[in-house]
Amino acid sequence: MAEVIIRKLTKSFGDNTVVKSVSLKVEDGEFLVLLGPSGCGKSTILRLIAGLEDVTSGEILINGEIVNFVSPVKRNAAFVFQNYALYPHMTVRKNVAFPLETARLPKDEINKAIDEAARILELQQLLDRLPSQLSGGQRQRVALARAIVRKPVVFLMDEPLSNLDAQLRQQTRIELMELHQRLGVTTIYVTHDQIEAMTMGKRIAILKDGELQQVDTPSETYDKPANTFVARFMGAPPMNLIQGRIEAGVRQFTFNGDGILVTLNSSQMGLTDEVLSLQLNAAVCLGVRPEHVRISTDLSVEGVSGKVKFLEPTGADLFVTVSIGIQNVVVRCPPKTPMQIGSTVTIAFDMTHTHIFGADGWNLRRSN
Amino acid sequence: MDLVEQNLSDPDWQELTMSDEEFRRARSRYKLRALVPVVGFLGPFLFLWSVFLATPMVWSIWLSFNTGGLIDEAKFVGLENWSRMLSNDELVRSLKNTATYVVIAIFVVFSLALLIASLLNSNKRGQNFFKVALYFPLLVPPIMAGMIFFFLTHYDMGIINLVLQAMNQEKLNFLGDNPNALLTIVSLEVWRGLGFWVLFFLAGLQSIPADLIDAAKIDGAGSMRRFRKISIPTLRPLLLFAVIIALIFNFQLFDSVQVLTKGGPVLGTTSVVWFIYKRLFAFQDIGLAYATSVGLLLLVVVLTVVAYGFLGKKSENSN
Amino acid sequence: MSLKSEHTKELHDLALQNSRIRRTKSVIAYAVLGLFVFASVGPIIYIISPAFRESKSLFSYPPQWLPNSFYLGNFKFLLSETNYIRWGINTFIFATGVTVIALIIDTLAGYAFARMEFPGKKIIFGLVLATLMVPTAALLAPTYLLVRNLDDWTFGLIGLDTYGGLIIPMTVSPLGVFMMRQFIETLPKGLFEAARIDGASEWRIFTRIVLPLMKPAVVVLGIFVFMMQWANFLWPLVITTKDETRVLTVGIATLQGQFVTNWGVIAAATLMTLAPITLVFLFFQRWFVQASMAGALKQ
Repeated sequence: MAEVIIRKLTKSFGDNTVVKSVSLKVEDGEFLVLLGPSGCGKSTILRLIAGLEDVTSGEILINGEIVNFVSPVKRNAAFVFQNYALYPHMTVRKNVAFPLETARLPKDEINKAIDEAARILELQQLLDRLPSQLSGGQRQRVALARAIVRKPVVFLMDEPLSNLDAQLRQQTRIELMELHQRLGVTTIYVTHDQIEAMTMGKRIAILKDGELQQVDTPSETYDKPANTFVARFMGAPPMNLIQGRIEAGVRQFTFNGDGILVTLNSSQMGLTDEVLSLQLNAAVCLGVRPEHVRISTDLSVEGVSGKVKFLEPTGADLFVTVSIGIQNVVVRCPPKTPMQIGSTVTIAFDMTHTHIFGADGWNLRRSN
Repeated sequence: MDLVEQNLSDPDWQELTMSDEEFRRARSRYKLRALVPVVGFLGPFLFLWSVFLATPMVWSIWLSFNTGGLIDEAKFVGLENWSRMLSNDELVRSLKNTATYVVIAIFVVFSLALLIASLLNSNKRGQNFFKVALYFPLLVPPIMAGMIFFFLTHYDMGIINLVLQAMNQEKLNFLGDNPNALLTIVSLEVWRGLGFWVLFFLAGLQSIPADLIDAAKIDGAGSMRRFRKISIPTLRPLLLFAVIIALIFNFQLFDSVQVLTKGGPVLGTTSVVWFIYKRLFAFQDIGLAYATSVGLLLLVVVLTVVAYGFLGKKSENSN
Repeated sequence: MSLKSEHTKELHDLALQNSRIRRTKSVIAYAVLGLFVFASVGPIIYIISPAFRESKSLFSYPPQWLPNSFYLGNFKFLLSETNYIRWGINTFIFATGVTVIALIIDTLAGYAFARMEFPGKKIIFGLVLATLMVPTAALLAPTYLLVRNLDDWTFGLIGLDTYGGLIIPMTVSPLGVFMMRQFIETLPKGLFEAARIDGASEWRIFTRIVLPLMKPAVVVLGIFVFMMQWANFLWPLVITTKDETRVLTVGIATLQGQFVTNWGVIAAATLMTLAPITLVFLFFQRWFVQASMAGALKQ
């Protein structure tokens, strides 16, 4: 069991810096998800921790010890690869035994460890098969068995579910979480799938272009995204982002975005007037999730009026795209809400869930 | 930025503890340790390569400006060997012979091999038997192939002449006349090499995707047209490789000359390597041998580059 | 109804005609193929006849195809009056020695070039590649001189008339390294990383993961090298000076010089030399054929 710390971790390939001064602390037994679009550097961070790549600058600590210059096996971290990387010429038993034989453990100890791993992952019937004779899900379990058999202090998983079909993926997700609960090993899990991140991670670290954007619990990243990138990346459909300016009103500040005028109640928004005044007349974004917009066909209700442009029923919800001038706002409604394309509606924002992202893209709530 | 300051008891956890100097030193030590296996893996080959390939190459350039060296000390003579080489009639004759041999051999072998490979490709039954049978002559070392050819082409005891005689035809002088002797040597190479190139081109033809051929069939392209419009363009990169390999290989013509004709009659079958061998062991003219070796090396390099440029460009145009 | 059946008949005729054309075509194809098979195999089979005949009968007219009695004198002469057996052993040691050493150094170096990181890798690999097209005959003279001079330096291990001198210079083949590198590069990178994570050293990765997976490529290269050296004439010719250090190709060539008229012995020697390799070939033909086809597909 171990705590993993990375300090100002930077990795360059030639002129291309793919990880930029990332600091992160993963607590003992935690399940942390590294999330981001492809090319954001999340896999590289994982490979740096494993020792598969050489750190350009910064430090990696496992259990309080700097492991930058320690061979992969001595870091005692197990790695689960996206395509499983099973040895194709070895049976399942040989595959699982390989790390133990490499460590020159006695035969009976190896057999005991294989039996235990096979029991945990239900591989008893498959031990004498070759990887080519296994299904994707079974290969995944063999890869996990090979990882746990060494009793590592850290699990590093690089998109382990991305090669499985949707149904199997969901099932394996649950199995992985059960495995984590059972073994309690610190796990760092890389994915580009925000649903996977939300359901699995105790905390999520979101990356973009090699830079850390936000590290938080899933609900915090969803409810209080640190910046516009996180706001758009988490949740489907993404958060509505309306570009505009902050103007000084009579008693309160107002947001003006090409016909969308919103009075900003700073205390409801978790902000102060000082914070807002700093952004006066700056180009900012107002962000609100589809479920935090109320929609009404009753035009006498207070709010912004617009026209219904699209309807997207998904079964559980109905997403309505409302156009106001040149802006579009997506609203989540209960299914079968009577709506007609082209009709005029009024929308209003739930100010307790409305965010203002400053000119630099960062959420103003973060300054408090 | 203050993004990652959550739930942390120790505020200084982000601070680096190693100084730049320590980091650099530890890193280079770590990288140096990773080089140990490289030495073990690459060492044996690289050592033998430097001693038995790189050194002789460089050395031969140096020695081509010297005389002696086989028994006595080498002596620097400048460009003398080179000027002697360029004005040597026998070498000119050898070069001409070798070039003639290379051109005819490559042309004949490749044409026949392409023909047989495409016949095999469209007539699958018994393919394996034909592959094995055609490969057979490749097992015969050129020297012994030469012996076998003696039994075929010898003026008095060669079976071909004996059969011709039985049919009341005039006997052919395969080895004692020019240019017959060179053509006999060409036919030996064709006989020996054919199987290899058949398999080579067959592999290429079989790698052509079936749907490409089906599409052409549906478009009504006949088999000749399909061969010209699909097979040849697909085989072009392969052909480039084949030409280069065959050039390098055939320019080293020696074995069959040694066994069949010893360069004769009247220098009709001398080859460049035969020339080098003679200077080295018969005439002890080591300087000339070196100059010719380096010249052969240069020639092959130039030919390869030309072949590459010519065929490489052609295949680019067709795309 | 009648119109329809007429149409069917027409189609039927057309199909018949088509299949007739096709059959004629394939008959011609097989005739051509048969001709080439005859030309390829015929000469080798023909050598059986003179091997079992007395030399003087070879010149008899009309041509005699089958020996009238199995005359074994040529073989007896070969085994008792020449060093044939010794040449055979030398050939075996030479070709096997080169093959084994070349396979070892080529796979090791191929692995290093494919999967290891080290400074100067590109330059070194480029230099090795640059020597890919060096014709070995062009290096005959300097290599010969080098081996002669190495005699003192290597305490007689590498020199004229030594196995070392015969074998070692022939083991260096940039092509072999290149082939092995290409093959190792096709193996998924994840395998190597998984093995590193599992604690395997480079040596263990090489022996336990890479070698088992590249068995086909190793066999193909092995056959390739063995065949090259088995047929090699020029190098053994210059590096051996004594009759008992010669290999078969050189030995048989000297027979030709010594016994100009003794053609029966030469036929017997050729036949005896080809017999074992033919057996090996027929046994492993699949691999031999693959060895030439692999070269084509790798490009």
